[in-house]
Amino acid sequence: MKIVVALRVNEAAARLSLDGPETLLDALRDQMGLEGTKKGCDQGACGACTVLLDGKRVLSCLTLAAQCDGHEVTTVEGLAPDGGVHPVQAAFIRHDAFQCGYCTPGQIMSAVALLDEGRAGSDEEIREFMSGNLCRCAAYPNIVAAIRDVAGEVASHGADSGV
Amino acid sequence: MTETKPAPTLLGAGVDRVDGLSKVRGEAPFPSDVTYPRLAHAALVRSTIAAGRISRITTRAAEEAPGVLAVITHQNMPRLERGPATLIGPSPVSPLQDDQVFHHGQYVAVVVAESLQQASAAAELVDVEYEVAAGVFDLDDPRGELRVDPWGSGARRGDVEGALASAEVTFEASYSTAANTNNPIGLFTTVAAWEGDTLTLHDSTQWTANVRTTIAALFGLPEESVRVHAPFLGGGFGAGLRVWPHAVIAAVAAQVTGRPVKLELTRPQMFTGIGYRPATEQTVRLGALRTGQLVALQHHATIAIGIVDENPEPVTLISQSAYACPNVDVRDDERRLNIPPPGPLRAPGAAQGTFALESALDELSYKLGMDPLELRLRNYAEVDAHSGLPWSSNALRDCYAVGAERFGWAQRNPEVGSMREDSWQIGYGVASLSYHWWQVRCEARATIGRDGTAFVRSAANDIGTGTRTVMTQLSAELLGLGLSDVRFDLGDSTMPWSPAAGGSGLTTSLGVAVDDACRSLRGKFLELAVQGPGSPLAGCSSDDVVVSGGRLHRKDDPGVGESYAEVLARHGLDELSADGLGAPPDPAQTGLALSPPFAAKFAEVRIDADLGILRVARLLTVVDAGRILNEKLARSQIVGGTIGGIGQALFEETSFDPGTGRIANATFGDYLIPVSADVGDVDVAFVGQPDPLTPVGTKGVGELGLPGTAAAIANAVYHATGRRLRSLPIAIEQLY
Ligand code: FES
Ligand code: FES
Repeated sequence: MKIVVALRVNEAAARLSLDGPETLLDALRDQMGLEGTKKGCDQGACGACTVLLDGKRVLSCLTLAAQCDGHEVTTVEGLAPDGGVHPVQAAFIRHDAFQCGYCTPGQIMSAVALLDEGRAGSDEEIREFMSGNLCRCAAYPNIVAAIRDVAGEVASHGADSGV
Repeated sequence: MTETKPAPTLLGAGVDRVDGLSKVRGEAPFPSDVTYPRLAHAALVRSTIAAGRISRITTRAAEEAPGVLAVITHQNMPRLERGPATLIGPSPVSPLQDDQVFHHGQYVAVVVAESLQQASAAAELVDVEYEVAAGVFDLDDPRGELRVDPWGSGARRGDVEGALASAEVTFEASYSTAANTNNPIGLFTTVAAWEGDTLTLHDSTQWTANVRTTIAALFGLPEESVRVHAPFLGGGFGAGLRVWPHAVIAAVAAQVTGRPVKLELTRPQMFTGIGYRPATEQTVRLGALRTGQLVALQHHATIAIGIVDENPEPVTLISQSAYACPNVDVRDDERRLNIPPPGPLRAPGAAQGTFALESALDELSYKLGMDPLELRLRNYAEVDAHSGLPWSSNALRDCYAVGAERFGWAQRNPEVGSMREDSWQIGYGVASLSYHWWQVRCEARATIGRDGTAFVRSAANDIGTGTRTVMTQLSAELLGLGLSDVRFDLGDSTMPWSPAAGGSGLTTSLGVAVDDACRSLRGKFLELAVQGPGSPLAGCSSDDVVVSGGRLHRKDDPGVGESYAEVLARHGLDELSADGLGAPPDPAQTGLALSPPFAAKFAEVRIDADLGILRVARLLTVVDAGRILNEKLARSQIVGGTIGGIGQALFEETSFDPGTGRIANATFGDYLIPVSADVGDVDVAFVGQPDPLTPVGTKGVGELGLPGTAAAIANAVYHATGRRLRSLPIAIEQLY
């Protein structure tokens, strides 16, 4: 018996037909074709699979898809619709905040949430609250710089900057 | 045609990655993102013993499980030869060939099913019985076969024993380094799809061309029948340099089931199936005069290796020519253990060897009462001791000088334990690095079409280092085009042959091929430009014409000329192409030693002994890598490698259970890699000049980040505390 789940993904209604144990990560990647969200461990330890669930960052490999009924999921594909670029994405490019790019969607989703949480007040704070997202290419200093940069934009332009 | 002047914005300076947008949008297709209609999924079954044989393997329950398409074990796996040796050593042994087990985690079966969930569930149902033999896991265990200098890489010059006996000061110590696992975040994946006798592979590799050659040989296919795609790789750090068993298994699974098959390793499988940095034990003996001049240097290593695989790991190679020393003896031995086959990881060999050599130099400096940087300066190698030839370029002394200045080395109080700030004990450490030179034959092809834009390509790989970007820059410069008018493509085995992305060798190897292709394409255009009716450049010689802004025009009158598109149109051509070949220069002809990249590393550590905290507050790397094509990306590479070095120094240890040989920490929860909060100030500076031996002037950047970092940190710890730590990783407990 399949479980049918209705949710919103990147501001569009979506329905998933599930056996039960599928993670949100696998459902996004395998059923919905949203391969921007990455699997690095499937054990909740790397952050590559970070997405927003009702605006809060979660590890999609530790989230059951069946739990998402009625909830809103945002993935990297939904950050800047219609071919746009989110300020955090732009800052990541500008600061060369990645190399291979595999951890990057997770880092960016985490960074977007971090800014929203108001935890980008200092480099130390950024480092601390980005430490759940591993980057083996170790682009960490540039990731911190990119987030600091966007945090600065937010501070100088107020809350309406679209971040 | 005279040289086009590099537009200052194109080279050297920080151009953003040309593939950056695709990465931040999550659109860059990694192998694990590839899908096919009717795609089946494979799950591996791994051995739960480290030594012995499979006495019985029962697959019935797995075969009958829902969705299962095939179960393959050594009993029904096609017999395969071992793959051919490559430029960097032998191929791994082919999988599932017999009942022998040589390490914990060795593949013993694969299950293919409609979905990954079904394959994984059925894999649990494969029942394997073993006859267990005694395993050997310890580098000191004499039961493990010791292979003395198996690669013949040992080298001697002069008389080390004699020089040690007569040296004014001698020093000797042993060092050890733990096994480290590559752990790229991207799970290694192979997607295999057959169409008749042709095979398409999407593979996590750093060497597309080698996957094609190896798989073609294993399956008895002509190379053209194997197509390998690897446009993006989620990190490799050396793990993608060999064709590991899972890739072979994926190809067999697709053949057996007649379906495209995806095989994605799990994180624990990433510890046992794609190599890792082997543990070493090393001894260094030094003899010196009171002036600091080295008179004897002996460096011996014993390196862990699997039972049936080979893995050249040049641990002591760096000691051959790092310093001017008349009497040298270096040797790498290996001990065979029941461990998963090791493989390359970031600066293989040098990462371990530099720790021992540069720690020993530091120890000698204290014995001599000499500044450790001064000791290195006094032993600067004016020529390459290996060949006896002068360096083609060597700015190591600038690395020292610029580094000392930038780091504030002069503020270092030479007395051990003398620098303090509140409860922090502060230490400064330094290490020097002379890496290996590496360039091999490489091919590229350049095309300009009717729209006046260029398409340049090679089978090479961009593993995040920025190859796509710097080759776009280089091509744009050579063809006189803007960056947006050049597309550089790679990662496809149908493109011209390229060596691996590894060993700090690709940028030079490929750069020379791209240089050749672009120059010869320019030459072809020039020939056409001066020909035919209506040529505005008729009568010009090559000296009179330059290319810029996508036009060939008179040097003395930029208004007179034609665009690439116009030249093609006038001659009724759709496009023009040229092939390029890059080959390493011949030292016999140039009279110069092929110079490696050099670096100096400076570290500041802060230790709070009461709280048990060890912090790497600052790290500075000063690099002579010849010409830097893109400072922004080169800096990222050095920073990343350096942070990898923090991992090697402080956290990373692949630990084998002494009883069973199982890796006890094969998850990201247990195997610690540096996270953002572990990283302090990481600074990089570049010195030197373009190397004159190649037209691009590069010497390789990637491997300069990691090696030497651990030594600089350990040396700083000694300076702060007087505790000499000779084994990696350094644990805070060792300070008490
Ligand atoms: S894949 Fe979810 S945390 Fe690693
Ligand atoms: S960019 Fe490669 S893992 Fe972060």
